[in-house]
Amino acid sequence: MERLPEHVPQELVTGFSLYSSPEMVPTPMGDPQAAAAKALLAGPPIVYTPLATRDGVGAWVITRAEDQRRILQDGVTFSSFRNTFSAAIGESWPLIPLEIDPPDHSAWRSLLNPLLSPRRVVALEGQVRARAVELIEGIKARGTECDVMTDFAFPFAVNIFLQFLGIPDDRLMEFVGWANDMLHSTPEARTAAAHKVLGFLDDLADLRRREPTDDFMTFVLDADIFGRKMTPHEVRAMSILLFIGGLDTVAAAIGFDLYHLARFPADQSDLRRNPEKILLAAEEFLRAYATITPLRTVTADVEVNGVLMKKGDIVSCPSMVANRDPMEFPNPEKIDLQREDNRHTAFAYGPHRCLGSHLARREIVVGLEEFLARIPAFRIKPGTTPMTFGGYVFGVENLILDWSA
Amino acid sequence: MKIIVHRERCQGHARCWALAPDIFDLDDEGFVVSGNIDVNPQDEDRAWRAAKSCPERALTVEK
Ligand code: HEM
Ligand code: SF4
Repeated sequence: MERLPEHVPQELVTGFSLYSSPEMVPTPMGDPQAAAAKALLAGPPIVYTPLATRDGVGAWVITRAEDQRRILQDGVTFSSFRNTFSAAIGESWPLIPLEIDPPDHSAWRSLLNPLLSPRRVVALEGQVRARAVELIEGIKARGTECDVMTDFAFPFAVNIFLQFLGIPDDRLMEFVGWANDMLHSTPEARTAAAHKVLGFLDDLADLRRREPTDDFMTFVLDADIFGRKMTPHEVRAMSILLFIGGLDTVAAAIGFDLYHLARFPADQSDLRRNPEKILLAAEEFLRAYATITPLRTVTADVEVNGVLMKKGDIVSCPSMVANRDPMEFPNPEKIDLQREDNRHTAFAYGPHRCLGSHLARREIVVGLEEFLARIPAFRIKPGTTPMTFGGYVFGVENLILDWSA
Repeated sequence: MKIIVHRERCQGHARCWALAPDIFDLDDEGFVVSGNIDVNPQDEDRAWRAAKSCPERALTVEK
């Protein structure tokens, strides 16, 4: 662990870490969002944790929605510039647009926003639904139980990405394998898988340079950015983010939602009987079971809510904590599937607001609609135990649902 | 009732449009269209809800 920086007052140091505290490590039948919010909202609005990442970097933790909004809206003082993904595979380049700052960031977003705009996503809905139905019918044909993450949530998320890129379905399982290794494996397997995916994306770009068609990659190669074409390097730094950005996140959201519905049968039967409620319920699930903690680097000394932060400090904004801030949400601990005025921050605030948020919402809503419409009343399979965990992306594993009579 | 649109604060969450597509219009990138919005009395309730749902606080209500 690093030494504490001198400007950090001792009384603001928290022992809580999103990586190592109880319920943040893999926990049987846990409720990690509630645990993190409870631990952090009991303390001052801003605290300092010596353990803000997997490798033990220290950071400020912003716990209240108001302060997170201010920080994440100000991409100049709070920079996103990092090389986290590439460093993990022994290289050094920023993911586009996640690790790019203004003003360049907004040029990238203007290029990408129309591809994943709310209206565009309406047009993609049919494909999303067809994928969900196919996976769920496959599950039904195999019996009366399933592992939500490996049989449904994860392949569903991977499948939608392949479709977005225009890659044929016969490569699905290969991609699921790469995605799994890249996100959930040993450092060596991670690096190998990342290189495979990058190699695949490079090949796809080469192919589309030679044979343009009406798909995402052709659009990217055709597009102008800063008055020029993209470099091959930029093409991969952007395409790979679209891939990893929508895998664990979407899968975890669907996982936590079905975990909730398995634990709370009254909510399950309510949504079963009234599927029109799923749209609003999905927003409440996004609030209650948010999974991501955006990180920023301070670019100039600044005071936030009475706390002095110095240039170079890291700041973390756990969305699942702000989403239970009582100043922002009345009765935040209550999971109310018809909650109104739900301005949650599951997709962050500010210019880096999740580019895939509209697609993600569709995937979640359609996934829940089809699952509830096709699978009878389900519960956690007796004798099995789902495992929940915290970290950079919160999640749930080994969620085995059972609907045998 | 009037909705004041602080366009510079909008980040394209599109919650306003999701709740009241007939009141809030989006551009091709998914940002709310600039310009304040005069709300018909029968739409006030929905417009209010939509404004309250904006995570960026880009919409304020003027009575
Ligand atoms: C429920 C699912 C999802 C959640 C909870 C989620 C969450 C987030 C959050 C919190 C950020 C901001 C990170 C930061 O500011 O540091 C973000 C950014 C991003 N997400 Fe998502 N995401 C989800 C699904 C997706 C999907 C499906 C895609 C791809 C289609 C995607 C692509 C991206 C991209 C490209 C960015 C970077 C945006 C930028 O930096 O301007 N996400 N996401
Ligand atoms: S809800 Fe707010 S941020 Fe979202 S589109 Fe409407 S005005 Fe913009």
